[in-house]
Amino acid sequence: MSDAVLAARADHLVEADAISYWQDVRKRFFRNRVSVIGLLILAFLLFVAVFGPILFKGPYKAAVNGAELQRPFSKGHLLGTDDLGRDMLRRVVRGLGISLRLAAAVTLISTVLGMFLGGLAGYFGGWIDALVTRVVDAIYAIPYVLVGIAFITIFGSHFWVVMLTLISTAWIGTARLFRAAVLQVRSQDYIEAARSTGAKTKRILLSHVLPNALPPIIVSVAFTIAGAILAESIYSFLGIGFIEPTPAIGVMIRSARQQFQDYPHVLLVPAGALVLLTLSIVFVGDGLRDALDPKLRGAT
Amino acid sequence: MGSFLLKRLGLALLTAWAALTVMFLLLVAMPGDAVTNKGGEKALNSATQKNIRAKYGLDRPLIVQYGKFFGNLAHGDLGYSIKNDRSVNTDLKETAKTSLRLLFWGGIVQIGGSLFLGFLSAAKKGSIIDRVTTIASVAAQAIPIFVGGLLAQVFFGVFPTQHKIGWLSFNRFWPNKWHLGVIPAESWKGIVLPAIVVGLVQMAFLARLLRSSMLEVLRADYLRTAQAKGLSRRRVLVHHALRNALIPYVTAAGLALLEIFGIAVQTETVFGLYGIGSKVAEAALIQDTPVVLGLASVVIVAATTMSLLVDLSYSWLDPRIRVGEKLAT
Repeated sequence: MSDAVLAARADHLVEADAISYWQDVRKRFFRNRVSVIGLLILAFLLFVAVFGPILFKGPYKAAVNGAELQRPFSKGHLLGTDDLGRDMLRRVVRGLGISLRLAAAVTLISTVLGMFLGGLAGYFGGWIDALVTRVVDAIYAIPYVLVGIAFITIFGSHFWVVMLTLISTAWIGTARLFRAAVLQVRSQDYIEAARSTGAKTKRILLSHVLPNALPPIIVSVAFTIAGAILAESIYSFLGIGFIEPTPAIGVMIRSARQQFQDYPHVLLVPAGALVLLTLSIVFVGDGLRDALDPKLRGAT
Repeated sequence: MGSFLLKRLGLALLTAWAALTVMFLLLVAMPGDAVTNKGGEKALNSATQKNIRAKYGLDRPLIVQYGKFFGNLAHGDLGYSIKNDRSVNTDLKETAKTSLRLLFWGGIVQIGGSLFLGFLSAAKKGSIIDRVTTIASVAAQAIPIFVGGLLAQVFFGVFPTQHKIGWLSFNRFWPNKWHLGVIPAESWKGIVLPAIVVGLVQMAFLARLLRSSMLEVLRADYLRTAQAKGLSRRRVLVHHALRNALIPYVTAAGLALLEIFGIAVQTETVFGLYGIGSKVAEAALIQDTPVVLGLASVVIVAATTMSLLVDLSYSWLDPRIRVGEKLAT
């Protein structure tokens, strides 16, 4: 047999039973029914958050004089109003927007920060590792309520203050995870091989360590987004994040505490939106985790 | 063993010190202090404020206040609340009772529930129980504790009371009297919802973890050996699979304990319980520094002790691991 025939046959074999890693990931993700449903719900909520404020115009912050609390499906108010007569639908679509914008900013910054510090600690070890690990442990030990209270009393309640508060605790999870991933990759033979060919540290880090330690981070991004949305609602609920009249979801739930015994919708509307949003993100993240796991490759 | 314990204790002390220092700085950095907040609606006049500051040593340089706090802490004296002049040690005794009871029952829900569900779904992999547990445990992580608490009050308090379904109504107060410290002497219904709310999230996470680590162990060669030599399925599952799967479980359960403080703050706030978490949150809002730092230092010491115990338990669970050795997982 000539070389050409052999090569053609080898090509054919490769094409027949091997698909690329990412094709396999996509295939396995879309086979997971729960995750696909999560993705659809998430897409719907994104749509609502983007177009809701355009579709449902009108006042949503100021109290309506003389208005009464109205139940859902009342005239002009599909989801009813709160005790100040404000339309729940208008408020909740804006609340979704706030949650998503905040989560995007927090996740972006804390992931970059966490990867940078975790990566340094994992790759170089020594005193850098000791320092980063100590700082992470100490931050774990500080009650986050105190951080929230301190930030809000010093700087006031603004978007960027809530953002900084959330980032101050959000990066440590990513740092821990990426440190562990880098530690594992660092000891692999191909890193040793790269070093023996004389590659510079920068090159090893960027083109060998980074891509191989990345998959767990992709999953953690999904959970950081969900975590940021949850954390914002907790801070706002405790009165140390956003405050009235901002229509953040946590603020709406906090304001619902007085009336939910008699008018459950003032709690169920924001709580439902929050749970739907975080649930869909967590299920997408969970599907991604299974799909990205090379141990399950090709498995059904 | 001795040197490991010393090193580990040293690190724990260092962490606690760093955390308390940051908290001290945060409290100092806030505008105003507990004295300006003390008057309530109308502020106290400046002479009175000055006297109060002198009484609590708030007029001394920060470094002196800082040193005095740690000096007193070393003697077990947590100081006095600036708001109402009560000893923080007394506050601690009162609030700790509620918090510890909440954690006790929450812990039973968490550990008991996760062992049961995790074991069952691994043993019956692919069954309907397994699939429901898996989906529910992912879902539980997406629901914040305070939302869960409020929703629980709607569905197991408001609605059943309105529709007169007595057995489903858990709308009771936290018991006042207790047998043996932890067994309610009044209606059990008062502790059910708070305990479940405290335990549920971590229970879901731990059940999932136990399931996957058991499935991993079940694929190991020694499990095949155990089956091949004719041991009953039950013995294989309990004595071989479960015990070996417990190591990652214990690590995660230990870390979960560190997060319980945040959970306690929310649960106590939602259910109106007078515990350490809600007390710290309340004190921090009025900048009552001694109360915040005093109670927080107790929580931090308790948390670091727990994680030390977790480290020591590895060698009991897996005799191959000597105390102080890093796990090779």
